Amino acid sequence: MEHRTLAGDGLPALIDELIKKGMRVIAPTQRNGDLAFGQVSSSAEAVLDYFLCKRSAKEIVFPRTEAILGFDRSGGEVKVEPPSMQFPETVVVGARPCDAASLPILDHIFTWDCDDELFTRRREATTVIGLTCTTADNFCFCTSVGLSPDNTAGSDILLTQLEDGQFFVEVVTDKGEKLAAELGELFREGGDESARQKAGEKARALVTRSVDVSKAKGWLDDHFDDEMWESWMTCLGCGACTFVCPTCHCFDIVDEVQGLSGHRCKNWDACTFWHFTVHASGHNPRDVQYKRYRQRILHKFRYYKDRFGVTLCTGCGRCSRHCPVGIDIAEVLETAAGSAAS
Amino acid sequence: MSKGLQDIARELLEKGEVQVVVGWGAVKADPDRTRPILVTDPDEVGELVWNPRCVNNLAVYLTKAKSDVQALGKAAIVAKGCDVKAITGLIQEMQFSRDDLVIIGVACKGVVSDGSLWQGELTEENRDLKCRFCDVRTPRTYDHLVGEEVPPVDAEDDWKDVRELEEKTPRERWDYWQEQFERCIRCYACRQACPFCYCTRCIADKTLPRWIESGQHPRANLAWNIIRAMHLAGRCVECGECERVCPVGIPLNLLNRELAKEVAVEYGYRAGYDSEAPPPFATYREEDDQSFIR
Ligand code: SF4
Ligand code: SF4
Ligand code: SF4
Ligand code: SF4
Ligand code: SF4
Repeated sequence: MEHRTLAGDGLPALIDELIKKGMRVIAPTQRNGDLAFGQVSSSAEAVLDYFLCKRSAKEIVFPRTEAILGFDRSGGEVKVEPPSMQFPETVVVGARPCDAASLPILDHIFTWDCDDELFTRRREATTVIGLTCTTADNFCFCTSVGLSPDNTAGSDILLTQLEDGQFFVEVVTDKGEKLAAELGELFREGGDESARQKAGEKARALVTRSVDVSKAKGWLDDHFDDEMWESWMTCLGCGACTFVCPTCHCFDIVDEVQGLSGHRCKNWDACTFWHFTVHASGHNPRDVQYKRYRQRILHKFRYYKDRFGVTLCTGCGRCSRHCPVGIDIAEVLETAAGSAAS
Repeated sequence: MSKGLQDIARELLEKGEVQVVVGWGAVKADPDRTRPILVTDPDEVGELVWNPRCVNNLAVYLTKAKSDVQALGKAAIVAKGCDVKAITGLIQEMQFSRDDLVIIGVACKGVVSDGSLWQGELTEENRDLKCRFCDVRTPRTYDHLVGEEVPPVDAEDDWKDVRELEEKTPRERWDYWQEQFERCIRCYACRQACPFCYCTRCIADKTLPRWIESGQHPRANLAWNIIRAMHLAGRCVECGECERVCPVGIPLNLLNRELAKEVAVEYGYRAGYDSEAPPPFATYREEDDQSFIR
C-alpha cells in the first residue's frame, strides 16, 4: 500500500482536478433539500462534511431503473436494440466506508451464475475515493460485520483527515494507483502514519454498537420458524429499508411499453413487498408480513454468507434509521445472538 | 403520564376486554424515538409510553391491510386526536365499527417528528405543522383518556403552506413537483404507513394491465404520486405520516393539503370529524352539478 498526502486545499482541489481531466465526478450533493450522490460540475456543489446520504451509493452501479433492451414493432417486424455499454469514466468522491464496501459485496451476486454486464461494466468504469467517517450514531454497527469507519474495502483510494486538517491518502487498488498517477502533483509522497492510526482509532471509537453477528448467524441457521419473527409483526411491508440499503439488490424485469415500442427494464424490487412472492395462482408462500421481513434478515445474515462467504450488510444502519416503525436491524441480530447464548 | 396509560392497558388485558393493545414503545437503541408495539401480555404494559415523540399513527394497524395484527384479537389502540380522526374516517368507510375497538385517547399538546429538532421537550418551534392549528388535542371520541383535557389551539388553519404553493405559476408548480417526485424511490412507505391505503391490491401493484410503471423514472413517479394523492382526496386526515416516513423527504402532506383545501372550499367538508357524514366522493345527489357531463 502506497501512502501519500493530499496537497493544495484538499478535497475541493481534488474534485476540480478530476473534472478538469474530463471525468464524471459523483459526490454527495444537495438537490431540492435532499443530500444524495449525484454528478457535480464543480467542487462547490459537493458536500463532504456530511454523515451519510439517505440513499446509498449503490445507484451509481445499480440504477433504480434501467433498460436492458429496447424494442420497436412500429415497422411491422420487431426490432430489438441492445443497451449501450458505453459508461463514462466515473470517480466517486467521498463515499463512506459502509457505502464503498457494498460494491465488492454486490460483485458476488452480479457475477455469480452470469455476468450482469450492466453492473460489471459500470463497476469497471467507476473508481471510488472513500472518506473515513467523523461521525456515527446508535444505528451504525459496521464494526460488527468486519468493517470499520476507516476500512478500505471497496475504496480504490481512501482519504482520512488527520488532526492537522491534512488528508492522508491510502492507495488501495491498481485502479486507485492509476488514478493517483494521473493526479500526479495533487498526491504528495509520504504521510504521517501515526497520525493516520490515531485518526482511525478515533473513528472506530465512534461506533459504540457491537453485535455478535456470527453468533446470530448460528441461531438464524436453525430458527426459520420461531416466535421471534412474529415480534416484528409491526413491519409495514414497505421498501424503505431495502431501497436505502447499499447491499439489497433485488430487481424485477418488466416491459414498459408506449404504443408499439418500449423498453425491457430492470427495476428495483424488494422482498419486504407483499407482491414479491405472490404466485400467478394468487397463492403467496410468504403470506404475512413478518415472513417477508424474516427473508430480509435471513438473506443478509445466513443465505448470502453461506453462498458467498460474506454477509450482505455493511452495518450502515440506514434501514433502522429510515424504518417508519423503528425496526432496528442490529436489535434483531442482538435478539438472535442473545437467544443463541441461552 | 405514561403510568395512567399502563394501568388502563393492564386492566383491559387482564379483564380480557381486549387481546392486544396497540401502542408506542421506546426504540431501544435510541430511546428518544418511539415505535409501534403490540402488547398482548399484561405483564408487558410497562413498555408502553406516551410522549411528544409518539408520532406514528397506529390506526394503520386496524385496517385489513394488516390482517395479521387483527388475528391477535380485539384491539385497544392508543391514539392522539389526529389519529382518532383516521379511526373516524375508517369507521365512516365501514372498515370496522366503533364497538370493535377500545380507544385509549391521549390528551396531546403536539408531537415532534423531526428528531434533529428534539432537545428533550416540545416547543413552539419543533412541533409538527399539523399541531399548530390542532382542534383535536383532546380526541373527539375515546373510551379512556390519558391526561387532562387540552383545549384546541386558538388559531384556525391558515393554509399558509398551500397558499404559497398556489401563488406559483402552473409552470413553476409543475417544475417543483417534478423535482420532488424525481427522487421518489417507489418504496411505498407512504402508502404502507397510511391508514387509508388499505386496498387489498393497490393500483400500483396491478400488473394485468400495469396501470403505473414500476420504474423509478419521472413519468412513472409522477403517475404514482398523483394517483395516490387523488385516491386520498376527501379522505386524508392530514396526519402527515406519509411525509414523515418518506425516506427521501418529499413534501407529500403539502400535496394532500392542497387537495384537502379544494375539498374544504368546494364541498365545505373536512375528513375525520364525523363518522356519519356522507363522504364527498362516494355520495350522489340529484342536484349535483352535471354540466360537465356531455
Ligand atoms: S422493516 Fe421497516 S422499512 Fe423495512 S419493510 Fe418493514 S416497515 Fe418498511
Ligand atoms: S441491512 Fe441495513 S445496516 Fe445492513 S447494509 Fe443494509 S441498510 Fe445498512
Ligand atoms: S395534530 Fe393535535 S392531536 Fe395530533 S399530534 Fe398534533 S397536537 Fe396532538
Ligand atoms: S415514501 Fe417517498 S420515496 Fe417512497 S414511494 Fe412514497 S413518495 Fe416515493
Ligand atoms: S397525511 Fe398521508 S398518511 Fe395521513 S391520511 Fe393523509 S395520505 Fe394518509
